[in-house]
Amino acid sequence: MNCETKQIYIIALVTGLYCSGGAYAQEANPWQDSHPVGDRIYLAQVSVPLPIEEDEQQEELDDALEEEEFEDEFEDEFSDDEDLFADEGVAIEVSDPLQGFNRAMFWFNDKLYFWLIKPVARVYRIVPEGARISVANFFHNVATPIRLVNAALQGDPNGAMTEFSRFFINTTVGIGGLFDPAKKHAQLDRVDTDFGLTLGKWGFGSGAYLVLPFYGPSSVRDGVGRFADGFLDPWYWYLWNRDKKLEFVAVKAFDKVNFFSLDKDTYEGIKRDTLDPYLFIRDAYMQHRQAKIQRPVDK
Amino acid sequence: MNTKKLAACLIFVVLSYGLPTAATAGAPTDQMKSTIDAVLEILKDESLDEAAKDTKVKGLIADRFDFRNMSQRVLATNWKKATEEQQTRFSELFPEILSNVYMGRIQGYTNERIDYVGETIKKEKFALVETSIVSPSVEIPVNYKLRLKSEGWLVYDVVIEGVSLINTYRSSYKEIAKNEGIDGLLARMEEKLSEGA
Repeated sequence: MNCETKQIYIIALVTGLYCSGGAYAQEANPWQDSHPVGDRIYLAQVSVPLPIEEDEQQEELDDALEEEEFEDEFEDEFSDDEDLFADEGVAIEVSDPLQGFNRAMFWFNDKLYFWLIKPVARVYRIVPEGARISVANFFHNVATPIRLVNAALQGDPNGAMTEFSRFFINTTVGIGGLFDPAKKHAQLDRVDTDFGLTLGKWGFGSGAYLVLPFYGPSSVRDGVGRFADGFLDPWYWYLWNRDKKLEFVAVKAFDKVNFFSLDKDTYEGIKRDTLDPYLFIRDAYMQHRQAKIQRPVDK
Repeated sequence: MNTKKLAACLIFVVLSYGLPTAATAGAPTDQMKSTIDAVLEILKDESLDEAAKDTKVKGLIADRFDFRNMSQRVLATNWKKATEEQQTRFSELFPEILSNVYMGRIQGYTNERIDYVGETIKKEKFALVETSIVSPSVEIPVNYKLRLKSEGWLVYDVVIEGVSLINTYRSSYKEIAKNEGIDGLLARMEEKLSEGA
């Protein structure tokens, strides 16, 4: 693909995402006009924690259309007592036109987990948990540029400063990022963000749900975000770009294995407990991303 | 990475020492705490066998969760489309599934600390109890939505890291019902339950 074709492709993708964002946002956009149904007034979409609104007139909620119909039709006492905390946990309609492909990728990741990651993680659990947590902390610390830059891009200078402070404290006092004194002693919490969220805050809809091999649940927007964040990833510059591609993969694999060694059976729990793990993870992922986007900047 | 965390559905944390850190802990928080503490007691009780623990814990959950309400909200528009028989069947199966999920997850978090971060009450009938599961590697916000009924404050939704379980189940079940019909959904649920048994 030559340069011009690439540019056209990128422009088309960007435009498409933005337009889909418009359509998508309408379904989950909390700031639309209120839909009073009967005497009920819906609440605003707010994040956690939820403050008590003084002026209920201003409270709005844009629920998915089906939800409204459902609430309308429901005759028992619940229909009068609307879910006043409907904003806790966003209601979204998921677009999954690539479900065939996604389910295939899901299957691939599943096998990858059971055949490769899990056996290795199981052995690796011999390493004391404290050490493994330090490893997780280390990787998290190294990824600071991604969070810092994206916080800034989202118009969150406090977040950016927090991440900067965290990096400084944890790298020095925390011995190369192995420990997290920034959180423990300075009460500086992680600001977990990425370019996918930045795009979301800028108004881009998630686009279609996408399951990426190795990386798991994502979306068109988040996939783009992940790719862009690659350029902020120190490992990329330190390894991949300096022709140490194998080392790069090894490092990433190690990070993943370490993560799963600390995780408490989450994925297998889902597989065991849900009727359709693919659907469950899809909806949970999309809700989670939307919730993070809608969370106001100063928590 | 986050997706795995959030996807840990229905993680109810068991607390050794219940120290409410919220500014004011009202009735909803107290009742929520009492259920969680009681569950902890049972899980830690060495004298009980697995089956007995199972029954007792499920009893406690059934007392705190408004299962009928949750079942209806999960089926949503399909509730209207379902026959009365299907509705009854679903109302029997779904709480079972939910309880099993809960039981399955709680085992992994018995040693974690739970912080009661906040409580909000609206119209004196709806409450949001915000908690946080604090484990060495992660902190997971788990919020409970409760409604005041004659039996006390009952849970009608659990929101984990911004993911509402009701919404997630509703989406999944809606899609299954669309492809396989409500009977198909019920069959799958029964299959799932017999798998576990």
